[in-house]
Amino acid sequence: MSLPRVAVVQFPGVNCEAESERAIERAGLGAERFRWTRPAGELRDFDAFLLPGGFSYQDRVRAGALAAKDPLMDVLAEEAERGKPVLGICNGAQVLVEAGLVPNGGAIDLALARNQMPDRDGYFARWVLTRVEASGCVFTRHLEPGTLLPLPMAHGEGRFTSRDPDRMAALGRGGQIPLRYAAQDGRAAKDFPANPSGAEESAAAVCNARGNVLAMMPHPERAQDLGGLARTIGGTWGGSRDQALVGGETQAEGPGMLLFHGLARYLKG
Amino acid sequence: MARRMAAKVAQAWIELRADDPEAVSALAVARAHLPVGARVAGLRRMRLVEIVGALPAREQVESLLHHSTQFYNPHKERCAVRLAPADPAPIESSERAVLIVEREGSWRPAAERWWRHETGEPVEVREGTAWVVRLTNPQAADLEELTLVRGRRHGLLCNPHSQDCRLAEGTVPLPWLHDPPAPRGARAAGRTVPASPKRSAR
Repeated sequence: MSLPRVAVVQFPGVNCEAESERAIERAGLGAERFRWTRPAGELRDFDAFLLPGGFSYQDRVRAGALAAKDPLMDVLAEEAERGKPVLGICNGAQVLVEAGLVPNGGAIDLALARNQMPDRDGYFARWVLTRVEASGCVFTRHLEPGTLLPLPMAHGEGRFTSRDPDRMAALGRGGQIPLRYAAQDGRAAKDFPANPSGAEESAAAVCNARGNVLAMMPHPERAQDLGGLARTIGGTWGGSRDQALVGGETQAEGPGMLLFHGLARYLKG
Repeated sequence: MARRMAAKVAQAWIELRADDPEAVSALAVARAHLPVGARVAGLRRMRLVEIVGALPAREQVESLLHHSTQFYNPHKERCAVRLAPADPAPIESSERAVLIVEREGSWRPAAERWWRHETGEPVEVREGTAWVVRLTNPQAADLEELTLVRGRRHGLLCNPHSQDCRLAEGTVPLPWLHDPPAPRGARAAGRTVPASPKRSAR
């Protein structure tokens, strides 16, 4: 039986395609790089889609703005409408938001604005804690709400926001914020650096109402190896990392793999 | 208060000397994927820096801008300075300008510190992006249609959920970034503004 196939959509300037493919394959799925130069219609042959991180079109005009206009995104929108899963990570999330696939699948309803950080500006990178929320999102719904996942983030424009001051809260109430930035005690993080961008509602990820399209700013594909977790990560995951390092099992699965397993469960039924 | 009353405004219009890849890409994408793109004949991008405070004479303002690394690189960029509404902006009569600013502000604290260090005078410095558009057979709403992002086939230059835009009607205002004046303490607070672009007319 052939494996479900996931297209890793590569716009020029994307730079996380290799590790994204590796995470997909580790979850028992087939991964294929799909460059922007291929006919858009060929995307229909795939079962799911991943838009990796990087700097598509060098972030010209605005992060994700130019890739969002590509005809590939029209096909992705159609396939998402049919229920196929789409995961956008970091720059991929920016593309999904600028293309309107999240949170509505239509009009542009959100922005990923510049980070708001005290006494600093621009790009910022660190490991953060994210908390799984009750949601129908296909990538996280197999996880217990409240589960903490340490993941790395690295971006300059990652603040989920809307002109409508109630929009983000409404998304949270509707189960469309499946991951929130969290403090060490598990509470949603409002302040820097636990909430590294100043994202409204502490949102680290936003999905569409159906739950099959997820835009997330942290990088799960960079947390696929347990041995790669930062030394600063404590708690259960930190203990597992220390055991892995002592036992020489540095490539045991890390927290980021849980989202890819969610995708595999959905695709394999 | 007296100093604020006497404040002058300087606008620095900064543009790459070579072709601007960002403007080239924006024009290509607009023409290829947006209905309004068929009527976009040209697109330029400039950084607009506005300095408000007790400013010296034009020659000295230009010299300060030129010699600092805070504002522009004279080896690869050119800079045109406006100090009075009658001074021309580097925009042709066939072009129209739209200003894009981040909703939460576009302050340049490092530039403000540098200016005060050099001159002893406190100033406020803001920066935005001015897109200069040349349209062929323009229809009334073309500039707004090119600017405000509403969907995959509508708008490119401004995502209204994180940015504001101001369309210049006729002469470009001076000030433009500092209009309307905002109190210093309002920096971190977001301003509530209409989703449609603000039209600046003089």
